[in-house]
Amino acid sequence: MATKTLSAEYVKGLWDENPVFRQLLGMCPTLAVTNAVINGIAMGLATTFVLLLSTLAVSSIKKVIPNQVRIASYVVIIASFVTVADLFLQAFFYPISKALGPYVPLIVVNCVILGRQEAFSSKNSVGRSLIDSLGMSTGFVLALLLLSSVREILGAGTFLGIQVLGPWFKPWIIMLLPAGAFIAFGILLGLALLIESKTKKRRA
Amino acid sequence: MSLSARMILVLTCVGLISGGFLAGVDLWTKDKIASNVQQEIEQAIRTVVPGTAVSEKLHEERAFTLYAGKTEDGTLAGYAVYTSGAGFQDTITLMFGTDVELQKLTRLTILKQTETPGLGANIESEDLFLKYWEDRDIQAGLSLHKPAASSPNELTPFEINTITGATISSESVLNLVNLSLDKLKEIIGPGQSGSSEKDGN
Repeated sequence: MATKTLSAEYVKGLWDENPVFRQLLGMCPTLAVTNAVINGIAMGLATTFVLLLSTLAVSSIKKVIPNQVRIASYVVIIASFVTVADLFLQAFFYPISKALGPYVPLIVVNCVILGRQEAFSSKNSVGRSLIDSLGMSTGFVLALLLLSSVREILGAGTFLGIQVLGPWFKPWIIMLLPAGAFIAFGILLGLALLIESKTKKRRA
Repeated sequence: MSLSARMILVLTCVGLISGGFLAGVDLWTKDKIASNVQQEIEQAIRTVVPGTAVSEKLHEERAFTLYAGKTEDGTLAGYAVYTSGAGFQDTITLMFGTDVELQKLTRLTILKQTETPGLGANIESEDLFLKYWEDRDIQAGLSLHKPAASSPNELTPFEINTITGATISSESVLNLVNLSLDKLKEIIGPGQSGSSEKDGN
């Protein structure tokens, strides 16, 4: 693993190991908050913030933490940063914090974050871990952006609140509901697998 | 050092550092968050009671807060009620205003809701729902006009409109308002005009 270049550590999070489309991690926020693009972006950025800071903390103190209590320590660290993010949003981005509702506290149990600590930060240097987390966060934000764009455009005819489809378009309300999240995500996931299998064939 | 001692030590330290850090962040953001909430409430009072320049809290109980809206020179412009209760999915928080004599509901505004997007969430929509709440007669209880009307003229002054496909959400708001109106009348007193209400508190 250590032979990988730093740029490869970053790029793998975008596609090859994309947390949403390849690892299927962090599904709860992915499906729940992507009914509007702004919510998707805000959730993505809040997760990025928590992931980067948790990675920084975990990879710096990884040698001190006994193996038996590592998960407990990670969760305490992650939960602290999530609370910071939650308070920060409430203080400075009040409308967004209201829109995200209970999902910000739920970042604590987002498996992308715990997964990166366990799989990467606890075994690699601070710098390498940060780059890995940055790649994963970028992949996560892009996935949320894609899913929320599809859902907002089809479900409301708008993008970031701006009308993009004409009055002829009758919004598909189901796309804004939980069922729409599963439908849109299933189709996107299928497309991702299709692209993956096509590119693999070409490489072979 | 034995393993158990090390485990206890590390977890304690991680906990203490996190706790201290959180306390600091809380101190830093606490005032800002409180002022955000306050600002939202004041903004809502100005929306539901036209002509309000300053507001004053008159009464507070569980899920019911009563404000008086006053003009620049201190005369009473109307009352604003801040309340919350069960909706279709989760709690709905709203504010409505009345005139001084408790004859009319001036306006309604929804502050927080997580109803179904595209259906129940339309209780926030001016065109589909809120405009039908303007200037309702509240001397008797309000009732729901069903099926949905397409213009406020189709409603009697005692009626409010239903949102098609979201009867439960519409009803929840209506029940919440009717309940609060009863409380409001109890507190202010029947037929009592606001000017005789104590201004001192």
